[in-house]
Amino acid sequence: MEENLLKTIWKRRSMIWVFAVNDLKLRYKNSILGFLWSFLEPLLLLGVMYIVFTTLFHNAIENYPVYLLLGIIIWNTFSRGTNMATNSLLGRAGLIQKMYFRREILVISSVLTSFIMMAFEFGAFAVFMIIFGVTPTVLVVLLPLVLVMLFTLTLGVSFFLSSLNVYYRDVQYIWTVVVQVGFFITPVFYKLDVFPSSIKSFLHLNPMVGVMEISRALVIHTQMPGLHTILATLAISGIVFICGYAIFRKLNYRLVEEL
Amino acid sequence: MSETAIKLENVEKSFRIFKEKKQSIFHLLTSFNDTTRGYEKLKILDNISFEVKKGEMVGIIGRNGSGKTTLLKLIAGVLHPDKGIIVRNGEITPFLEIGTGFNGELSARENIIMYGIILGFSKGVIKNKVEDIIKYAELEKFIDTKLKHFSSGMYARLAFATAVQVDPEIMLIDEVLSVGDAAFQKKSFDTFKEFIQRKKTILFISHDLNSVRNLCNSVMVIDKGKIVCNDKPDIAIEYYQNLLNQTA
Repeated sequence: MEENLLKTIWKRRSMIWVFAVNDLKLRYKNSILGFLWSFLEPLLLLGVMYIVFTTLFHNAIENYPVYLLLGIIIWNTFSRGTNMATNSLLGRAGLIQKMYFRREILVISSVLTSFIMMAFEFGAFAVFMIIFGVTPTVLVVLLPLVLVMLFTLTLGVSFFLSSLNVYYRDVQYIWTVVVQVGFFITPVFYKLDVFPSSIKSFLHLNPMVGVMEISRALVIHTQMPGLHTILATLAISGIVFICGYAIFRKLNYRLVEEL
Repeated sequence: MSETAIKLENVEKSFRIFKEKKQSIFHLLTSFNDTTRGYEKLKILDNISFEVKKGEMVGIIGRNGSGKTTLLKLIAGVLHPDKGIIVRNGEITPFLEIGTGFNGELSARENIIMYGIILGFSKGVIKNKVEDIIKYAELEKFIDTKLKHFSSGMYARLAFATAVQVDPEIMLIDEVLSVGDAAFQKKSFDTFKEFIQRKKTILFISHDLNSVRNLCNSVMVIDKGKIVCNDKPDIAIEYYQNLLNQTA
């Protein structure tokens, strides 16, 4: 009876967009200061980490501020997207109980909110690159492809979490902790080279590692990961999406009764 | 004969009533051998079959807890049936209570646009309808006022106007005619009649037996999850009144 997901997304694009923008306005509390704060947050994190890792640990990564900021932006997009989406169904319980529309729309628009914020952050990042005199590689034109992969991955995880959170209300708190751990096992502020190669290949099972490495290689001249890493990242992201969406469909069946 | 608008065949729906519900992963992990877990099934609707043709207005009456709203939610697609088939022929207004989706922090105009978008209209289409909706609701002066400053009568009028002006094929209405004064009620009745003339379909839950009698072509009485009577309004209402007297 229900049409396929892509068709729904296309038909309901104005709803997805309006919900995403409304979330954004809510987050910025309709104020300029709120908007600036959203930049300040990653920049503060950047400042602290930069001081800690250059002065305390004598980090030798080239163009470290730019390296670090790109990592923070990519990681934040994922963590913010999944965290916001986890509450997307529960947060609109009133609407879901009384009107019929595809529930996927709410999850997608939450993830989209995170990506709109990412677009702003990339604006700030461009300024950073100019300040530090880093010119991007020609390959930067391929960055959108990685972002599509990141979107798919974030959406897959979000589908899973948002529906499970309706049935088990502590999912959102557990996920916050998981994301904290994820921050440290993903090379946001370090290079994966610090690990021996056996652990390295194990860590690559986390698709965010691949996403991180590929986007850095495309933008700031770091070494491109091998083909097998790229393919593995693609495959794992795809599997996460398919499984996440399958679980969502299953849990969607009795969702309204559990709200 | 005229076309089918909605058709239900042997529809059944149960809710799970959990004995002890602590909705958390933590609880799930710490109580896997707990015997008090589990749920009972409570049957809300049992073996419901009926058909509504285009251009009909059907009333649904029954006592509290008989399953009326659950039935409407199934038809709207908010809930899924456990068994049976539901056929819908035409766009359905997916609202069950008028005014769902309205936000007090937004103005009347913004709310209308938001509501239209949830219903699936594009922004352009719904913007063209804003003037008509405000005019119907007789709220021209307040178009840019935040909804939280509206009186409940104004709120209800705006909600009702929005719902009818989007012009759906099938409308599902759960208890609305208590809104507005006598004049606005007459206006809404006229709108329903005009809808029916244009071969649209209305399913209508109400406890106001007079309006059910005046408006509907046929009436269903639901009791304990079953359709116990499906007939002309006068007959069905009499049946229902007997039912009430028996238990009183």
